[in-house]
Amino acid sequence: MNYIRQILTIVSKDIAAEIRTKEMLNSMLVFVILIMVIFHFAFGEVFEGVEIAVGILWGAFLFAAVLGLNRIFVHEKDEGCLDGLMLCPTDRAVIYFGKVLSSLIFIFVVQMLALPIFFVFFIKMIPLSNLWLLLLVIILSNVGITSVGTLLSAISINTKARDLMLPILFFPVIIPILIAAVKLTGLIMTASKFSGDILIWLRMLAIYDIIFLLVGFLTFEYVLEE
Amino acid sequence: MERKAQILSGVTFIAMLLAIYMVFIYAPIERKMGILQKIFYFHVSTAWIPYLAFLVVFLCSIVFLWRRDKRWDTIAFCSAEIGLVIDTLVLITGSIWAKPAWGVWWTWEPRLTTSLIMWLLYAGYLLLRRSVEEAMRRARFAAVYGIAAFISVPISFMSIRWWRTIHPVVIKPTGIELEPPMITALIVCLVAFTLFYFCLLQQRYRLKKIKDEIEDIKSELGG
Repeated sequence: MNYIRQILTIVSKDIAAEIRTKEMLNSMLVFVILIMVIFHFAFGEVFEGVEIAVGILWGAFLFAAVLGLNRIFVHEKDEGCLDGLMLCPTDRAVIYFGKVLSSLIFIFVVQMLALPIFFVFFIKMIPLSNLWLLLLVIILSNVGITSVGTLLSAISINTKARDLMLPILFFPVIIPILIAAVKLTGLIMTASKFSGDILIWLRMLAIYDIIFLLVGFLTFEYVLEE
Repeated sequence: MERKAQILSGVTFIAMLLAIYMVFIYAPIERKMGILQKIFYFHVSTAWIPYLAFLVVFLCSIVFLWRRDKRWDTIAFCSAEIGLVIDTLVLITGSIWAKPAWGVWWTWEPRLTTSLIMWLLYAGYLLLRRSVEEAMRRARFAAVYGIAAFISVPISFMSIRWWRTIHPVVIKPTGIELEPPMITALIVCLVAFTLFYFCLLQQRYRLKKIKDEIEDIKSELGG
């Protein structure tokens, strides 16, 4: 119980700071829309069908996520708040889960703002029947993205290359998530009802999430040390 | 220590000569692909070395975080470097092999793709190491990434395989039938390359230790 309260304290601190500056949310949102526009021109005339649209969606989501994850420790580090956080009489795991949860919230908010724009741009209609399933896929993918991303963000912020390091470390680890997310979104948008394939991929996403939350939970304390 | 290294080098050298003999003289020439099929032995026997090398990185990373002994970090670094070099060879020989076998240089086949993703993971691992100055911190970060990266490899492999089974497979791999002498040659080759990996690891480890010692002396004199 105490654990959860401490995690929520960190999350509410992050949200309060973000509401004041709106730095991360604004830039992520503009970035997502920008990537959609760039992909639209990059594919040009050949652009057709749901398959490419789904690729664009997840490409945009992943790039925006990296942008946000890069920022998750920047203020803590630059303004010396990280030392304060580390001095708190709590477990390192509390900081980890707090940061995972707040980046989860920020990324989800941006995605929910970008999703209607995506539908208008590329699909021309909103598939209301399977919307809940799509939201489930987005949330499950986000858990994987943030559990890995928070861990690697804490590493990359402490390197010489800083922002340069995160995408290089993050993308190869996240490839299974991308595969599952693209596959599932494609299935949901084309198939009319729930199928066995959807279940297989949902399970795959869930397994990935559990494994990487565990990895993050167990190794995070070694990153924040000194 | 010195003596053991010499023995390992000698055994590896003999095994390599034997492997070359087995591949080019002992094993018969394949009927359909002819001499081209020879690269198959080298490709298959190198292909598993990156998995072994990165497993060593993974295990050494865990032991390092647990014991905090810098030796384990050094072994992990050396193994990652060798694994990356051999993985590059796997990708190149794989492309040369894919051309006669499947008619293309590259196909997004699960094993090939996994080798590529591993290459990217451990290139990142080495870049990360270069980007941290302080030795203990570098070792900690590298260990955490070494663990996370290795765990993602089987998940990547599985998801790429499922992805392919649901997708139609355009290029069907034409299976080659292996004659018993071919299998013997393959096994000899496998053993030779595995020995070669351990031989390289030992030499690299020795080199790295000497280099670290020189760095220590330099900083003592300069600082």
